[in-house]
Amino acid sequence: MTRMGGLNTSLSIGLQALDTAQGALTATSNNIANVNTPGYTREVAQISENGENQTGDEVTGGGVTLDGLQSIRDELLNIQIQQQTSLQSSVDTKSSSLQQVQTFFTSSGDDIASGITALSSSLAQLSASSSSTAAQQSVLSSGQSLADAFNTTAQGLTTAQLDADQQVPQTVTQINSLTQHIAQLNTQLGQVPAAEDGGTTQDQLDQLVQQLSGLTGISITQGTDGETITTGNGTPLVIGGQSFNLQTTTGTNGFQQVLDSNGNNITSSIEGGTLGGAIDIRDQVIPGFQSQLNTLATQFATAFNAAQAKGYDSNGNTGSNLFSVPSNTNDAAAGISVAITDPSQVAISSDGSAGSNGNVANLSAALTNTLPSGKTPAGAYASLVFQVGNATSNASTESTAIGQNLTQLTTQQGAVSAVDISEETTNLLRYQAAFEAATRIVSTIQVLNNAALNMGSGTSY
Amino acid sequence: MRIDPNLVPTILADLQQSQVSLNTALQEVSTGKSVNVPSDNPAAAADMVQNTIETGDVDQYTQNVSSVLSTVQSASSVLSSVVSSLTQAVSLGTEGANGTNSADNLQAIAAQVQGILSSVVSDANTSVAGSYLFGGTGTSTPFVADSASSTGYTYNGTSDSNVVAVGDNLSVQVNVPGSQVFSDPTSNVLGSLSSLVTALKSGTSADIATATSAVDSALNFVGQQQSVYGNAEKQLNSQQTSLQQDTVTLSTQENNLIGVNEATAAAELSQDETDNNAALAAVAKVLPNSLLNYLQPPT
Repeated sequence: MTRMGGLNTSLSIGLQALDTAQGALTATSNNIANVNTPGYTREVAQISENGENQTGDEVTGGGVTLDGLQSIRDELLNIQIQQQTSLQSSVDTKSSSLQQVQTFFTSSGDDIASGITALSSSLAQLSASSSSTAAQQSVLSSGQSLADAFNTTAQGLTTAQLDADQQVPQTVTQINSLTQHIAQLNTQLGQVPAAEDGGTTQDQLDQLVQQLSGLTGISITQGTDGETITTGNGTPLVIGGQSFNLQTTTGTNGFQQVLDSNGNNITSSIEGGTLGGAIDIRDQVIPGFQSQLNTLATQFATAFNAAQAKGYDSNGNTGSNLFSVPSNTNDAAAGISVAITDPSQVAISSDGSAGSNGNVANLSAALTNTLPSGKTPAGAYASLVFQVGNATSNASTESTAIGQNLTQLTTQQGAVSAVDISEETTNLLRYQAAFEAATRIVSTIQVLNNAALNMGSGTSY
Repeated sequence: MRIDPNLVPTILADLQQSQVSLNTALQEVSTGKSVNVPSDNPAAAADMVQNTIETGDVDQYTQNVSSVLSTVQSASSVLSSVVSSLTQAVSLGTEGANGTNSADNLQAIAAQVQGILSSVVSDANTSVAGSYLFGGTGTSTPFVADSASSTGYTYNGTSDSNVVAVGDNLSVQVNVPGSQVFSDPTSNVLGSLSSLVTALKSGTSADIATATSAVDSALNFVGQQQSVYGNAEKQLNSQQTSLQQDTVTLSTQENNLIGVNEATAAAELSQDETDNNAALAAVAKVLPNSLLNYLQPPT
């Protein structure tokens, strides 16, 4: 004769069912609670069937076990999102700086093109009324406007460069704070057995790493003691439970340099993120514009002064320099100024006689002749306008493209990890039903137990 | 396959995108420009640098043409007056040379010619807006009476002439120096008139005839000089037309580079408004949706 499992077995299965349903309800309620928490990945109750009980020839089910709650995440997607985030914040940093820069190259009445226009018109006017002091004064005033426009534009570039420079130490401070926090979480995760899910700690870590990737380009490897995070060129930021602070110091060029924890200058190798974008703008993009602007200021002033020297002013003296430029080319655009104050010093005459206007043509030609750069002053400036506009437009287009890519990746990540209220509501109902049913098992077994205990007493029914 | 239950980021991105388009369309319609900053169209912004400078130049050249034209017209009319004076002098000289005049008559004729000479000198010293029409590039009165000179007058101007820019590669000569018009070595206007006065006062009929023929040749010479101004005037008028065309061309170019087609811009604005409304409506519909909406609350 065989014996089936006893009532106690059923009772124990019922209790396991209660525990499991309760655990699953915990996961569901936690999911619903965190539906809007950034970085939260949904948890799913891991439920498995217990081994069968075999008694003699009898095999009975062993009930159910809640193995744990598993967070559902895709690490590969996370890495892609981190990479795109680095790119995006780098491009956005450049884009916002270039937006600022391009206003100085926008036709406004105070820009360099307007300055050249005013000077060119005033010289044409001077050719028609060379004896008029007002016309001579107008040449000086428009020369002043042009010099001012050069100064303002150079100043605008420098301001944008200094703004980018300020971002460097600020960003480094944020990076250090994040890497310290990440190292702590790494330590905590190190205490979780490898087979188990990191849960909320892992969520927090992923969230911080994503923030970090917005600050600078990073590379992540999974090691035995947690995540190892380095900059794109391999400078360690976090190894397991240890973080390595970056430092900043003022370099020989007056700008903030980034040093690794050993004091090596890694500024030029930093790419991506706000830090990479700011360094690129500061050390590459803006200096490119500055150098062209300075060359233009120097070559134009030299050409115009040479035209002045070909003629004579109203006092019969050889024309003196109308523009003065600093001897250091790097300061040319910022420092160009009008050197003469007396309108009679404009070299109008070609022969020294007071009535001649023969040199006005030479002055005008200085505006239209090609400079040593191979371009006319207007051509050189137009080329600069194109480059600034193109760089700004490219940064903005790139940002849009990366943004779309990022939205796509985030949608994919959401498909894997985000909490779906409808799904959770369904689960809530399922686990509610399971829990209610399990309570019935327990109460039924209780009734049966009572019945068994009272067998034969004759009083129970 | 599971889909992303969280539509908010995507929807917000779409909303933002539609807002950006709407703002761009609004800006284009309100400014009438499709290029407000260089990044809107870098190539057009660069081309506009040249366009702005040329537009400024063309404006100034147009003003120069009017001012030069008025100078040239003044000079031309002065020369016309000189021509008629000289014509009168020639007929007076011819009259004086016919041998029938009494000494008193000749003196009277001489006085008339002297008057003509004064009037021609005054013409030669005409100044417009502070500068002498026939002083070359000089700034002092061109012709001053000088008893030591064979012609009776000294030229104080220069033999140069100024040019005025009326186009990028076009300059016109605004004046013919007085030395060329009035005291040319072979056809000297002032000298021939002085000689005629002298001949009338004290010469023979043959002397008067010779002096008259010299005035006649000076008359022809001045006529030729007048044509210089006539040509300049023609050139200036044609340049004025050409500058007007340049203005139109530059303005058309500007419009092509940075202008907006108002009809297209308005249509785009309306399209963007519709898109924006649709996006907003979608957000309103999608956001509150979940299974919860259809479940009865537990009793």
